[in-house]
Amino acid sequence: MNQHFARTSIILASLWTAAFLAGCSGQKPYQNTPDNNLHVRTTADSGSWFSSVHAAVDIHRVTIDCRTEYEGTVQLSRPTIDVGIPPNRWSRLVFVFSSSSFLGNRSGSMTYETLLKPRSGYQYQVKVTYKDDMYNVVVRETQPDDSTSREIEHKDLRSCQAKSIERSRVTSNSSPR
Amino acid sequence: MKRLHRVLIAMVGVIWISGCVSHPQTPDEFRKAVPSAFSAKVETFEVDRPFNQVANTFQKMGPNCLSKTIKTTSQTRTSYQVIVTTYRPTVLVTPKKAELHVQFHHDQGVIGVGKEPEGGYYLLVADASPVNQTKTRIDLYRPSMGHGVLIQAVKNWATGDNVGCPDLTK
Repeated sequence: MNQHFARTSIILASLWTAAFLAGCSGQKPYQNTPDNNLHVRTTADSGSWFSSVHAAVDIHRVTIDCRTEYEGTVQLSRPTIDVGIPPNRWSRLVFVFSSSSFLGNRSGSMTYETLLKPRSGYQYQVKVTYKDDMYNVVVRETQPDDSTSREIEHKDLRSCQAKSIERSRVTSNSSPR
Repeated sequence: MKRLHRVLIAMVGVIWISGCVSHPQTPDEFRKAVPSAFSAKVETFEVDRPFNQVANTFQKMGPNCLSKTIKTTSQTRTSYQVIVTTYRPTVLVTPKKAELHVQFHHDQGVIGVGKEPEGGYYLLVADASPVNQTKTRIDLYRPSMGHGVLIQAVKNWATGDNVGCPDLTK
């Protein structure tokens, strides 16, 4: 009886700890929209046996007044991952490169953020690379039924102004760019 | 090895400071101080790239890649260290010259000694100037130890090869 009680206590304590940690990490999986319009191709190589690098992307909704609301994280643990981002509204994509060194027990992370407003029916190819301690994120837009694509210019939250966001929202609702 | 570099750089910084040599307060002071500094050097080279392209890359990549606050942690059996550093890039472009200034400020984990310039200590200055229609001269005032990834990134921005952002945690 005592043994059963002890085992139950351990399980409950473990569950509570897991729930506590999950809540405290602040990270949650991103809930894809059905569009699957963002195709992320990731190559991450630390270049050393003694260190590792991991890539992920945090997705935030951008409100009219340029505030952001965290929606979730996609772990870029596979070479290609499809993500659904709501079209016709601004999202903030924050690519996070977390590196750790086993030898020196050092860790750190770098972020690269960009704003994106996907257009309905368009597809977006994102090339995420980390090599030789350099990282790069390139977003390209492909028109529907067309293989031609163009690179989307990097835009960060500092460039966001309530009026510009609202203006582009209206423009996109009336006629796609 | 990188940790050893960091320790050496910190020691050199302390020696520099204890020698009552004041920190450069402007990019011009930095340019003048680097040639005689123990832990910095001037590197000059030409790239086969028009000046306006180099200037555009500085303008695009500088703010995108270097306007960052970086947190690194290192842990041993007996210590746990957190260092938070904010980098600040400035790009100035005229028809005859493009300048990239990189400054840094330790928000946490390192005690600053001496007068720190507004925006942080100067870490690197890169000057680009046109040689002719197709070539650009680069004068790079940079640390001679450490910060290899940052230096390589700025060189890449100048040459146009492997243009990316440096992992400033390295």
